[in-house]
Amino acid sequence: MSLEEFKNRNTGQQSYKMLDIKHTPQSGIGKFGQVVERTVKGELFVGLWVTLREMGNALFKDNMHTIKYPLEKLPISPRYRAIHDMLRLLESGHYRCIGCGLCEKICISDCIKMDTKYDENQRKEVTEYTINFGRCIFCGYCAEVCPELAIVHGGRYETASEQRASFSLFEDMLTPIDALKQQKEYDGFGAVSPNADDTIKQTPLAY
Amino acid sequence: MEATVLPEVTSLGVIIKGIIILAIISAVAGFGTYIERKILAFMQRRLGPMHVGPFGLLQIAADGIKLFTQEDIIPQNANKFIFQIAPAITAATAFIALAAVPVFPDFTIPEFIPLLGGTFVPSIAADINVGILFVLGMMAAGLYGPLLAGMAQANKWGIIGSARTAIQFLSYEVVTGLSILAPIMLVGSLSLVDFNEYQAGGFTSWLIWQQPVAFVLFLIAGFAETNRTPFDLLEHEAEVVSGYATEYSGMRWGMFFIGEYANMITVAILASVMFLGGYNDLGFIAGWFIIIGKIAFFFFLMLWVRASWPHIRPDQLMWLCWKVLMPLAMVNILITAIVVMI
Amino acid sequence: MYEQIAFYLFSVLTIGLFLVTVLSKNILYAMTSLAAGMVLISGFFFMLGADFLGVVQLIVYVGAVMALYAFAMMFFDATRDIKEKTTNDALVFFLGGMVALMLVIIFAAPVFSENIQAMYPVVEGVGNAQAVGLVLFTKYLVPFEVAAVMLLVAMIAGIILAGKKMDHSLTTNDDKVISQEDTK
Repeated sequence: MSLEEFKNRNTGQQSYKMLDIKHTPQSGIGKFGQVVERTVKGELFVGLWVTLREMGNALFKDNMHTIKYPLEKLPISPRYRAIHDMLRLLESGHYRCIGCGLCEKICISDCIKMDTKYDENQRKEVTEYTINFGRCIFCGYCAEVCPELAIVHGGRYETASEQRASFSLFEDMLTPIDALKQQKEYDGFGAVSPNADDTIKQTPLAY
Repeated sequence: MEATVLPEVTSLGVIIKGIIILAIISAVAGFGTYIERKILAFMQRRLGPMHVGPFGLLQIAADGIKLFTQEDIIPQNANKFIFQIAPAITAATAFIALAAVPVFPDFTIPEFIPLLGGTFVPSIAADINVGILFVLGMMAAGLYGPLLAGMAQANKWGIIGSARTAIQFLSYEVVTGLSILAPIMLVGSLSLVDFNEYQAGGFTSWLIWQQPVAFVLFLIAGFAETNRTPFDLLEHEAEVVSGYATEYSGMRWGMFFIGEYANMITVAILASVMFLGGYNDLGFIAGWFIIIGKIAFFFFLMLWVRASWPHIRPDQLMWLCWKVLMPLAMVNILITAIVVMI
Repeated sequence: MYEQIAFYLFSVLTIGLFLVTVLSKNILYAMTSLAAGMVLISGFFFMLGADFLGVVQLIVYVGAVMALYAFAMMFFDATRDIKEKTTNDALVFFLGGMVALMLVIIFAAPVFSENIQAMYPVVEGVGNAQAVGLVLFTKYLVPFEVAAVMLLVAMIAGIILAGKKMDHSLTTNDDKVISQEDTK
């Protein structure tokens, strides 16, 4: 379904099928008639046919819903808030963080800890930067407040490890210098995931 | 039909047959769980077991290891003795019922095998001439498994499960008996072998064409008898956790399921022998192949229905059995009797 | 020889199981042993070559009758022992013993007087089920029909007893109506 169709929320023009559900009969004759009707109409066999058709689709038309998770993954939205990434400047390769401390200030679960000093060029240098992921609630305030787009939320959602500290050091979150070319810019507020068109379902209600 | 002279059935042959039934049906029951999971998965557009062995085939072995090594928990207030023997009742009666139905073709063990060479292994382990009733009686006795299990485990879900067992039994048993009465009157015998020979005349002589109502009734009652889905009241997960099997674990739980799958196979065999022409050759297709095909079809039908249809309530089952199916069966018997008399 | 071994095995097991039924104070043990005893009794029929009766024993007693018993058992707490009220142990013992003795005399007397003969000898070439049918619809036709009428009467009585509230459904009624009826 394309986005244009999705945005068309005028229910009047769409063809909805009304279900023909009658009231449950109260009298004995009525109930018996219902049984006879259901038996003769073959509604049960419609049910059987639907499952058989789905089985055929799944087996022969490659319409299987299963994602073999560790082997294949669904693309996630750029707005997904997983483990943070610290980005670098594309030209110089220097980290973008200017050590302003806004993220430390705004963090509502008080999990960001940073330490800075002036280096020989009188430029702020980040000496310590850790995020305590035992406390972090992934609210995204730090990424929102950052004036330099230095800290953003990345896509690393598989955060099982032996130690919480495994992800939390500045060097772990920083884009590796040799992967500078692959560093992706955050698409901005309201960005949709790359496969958004496939996953969208039309809402039957006109809001 | 020209009767071929069969070799004498010795007790050794029967014992071998018993071992074959036990071994193969247990294995097939285990394999049935795999098939069930696969087919249900396909019908819901899933993959099913995939990771243990090619196409997940070794999942059965993994499940077996799990069941055998799982801790056997007996609840504190349970009646220990009854709790322990209840699964054995289910499994044992299911296999005893299989003793009186024809499973696999008869064969003679080749002479070159030491000790057992030349032994004739019959198709039916115990060829009693009231085979159908015996199978039904044994399957009725098999209900003691769930019944006692539910009452012995000091668990409210278990009690509900066993109460439902009794309700379900009282509902379908009449329909089972009455539905097969009409075909029995036509054939004039209670022996499954006679049923098979009655339908030896090829596709058109199948009893399903003469007794379609009885076939449908028997199938419905068979679903209730094996606790398959539309009548899956005893352990309806959404309502009574796991019913009679709530407190069971490990191999005792596994025995309930071996019994259930053996019962499914028994009902499939009964339906195909009584209504679908049994193990007679069909054109150029050999009889043993065609009966396996029929049994496989009924097995698939049970899984298919499970994937497609919702459960019904116990009172709905009772209503259906006593107010719809039983009168239908009675009318069917009456009409058959009139036709037979004329 | 096999038959004798089987007979004694079945007898000992049957008597033992029925003893458990009578003596046990646990309702589950009593029911289980009663059912198992019924199964073993069908073994006697099979040994005598009366396949049909054996199977009927299985279906009717093990299946139907016991399911009814089991249904009644749902009203008890199956995990506790039953406390029986016996006011006079000696009287119970005496009456039980006398009934048992009478039964033994009734069944043993024809055997001792050697005055027992089969009225309906086995007809050659007739199956078990057919033989039962022949006897049932010739010699025992009247008792058979009387039993049928009796069952019909019992069935109608059961329907009338249970049928008073048959049109009354808890599921379709409003909660208000049900609570009103409860307070009545």
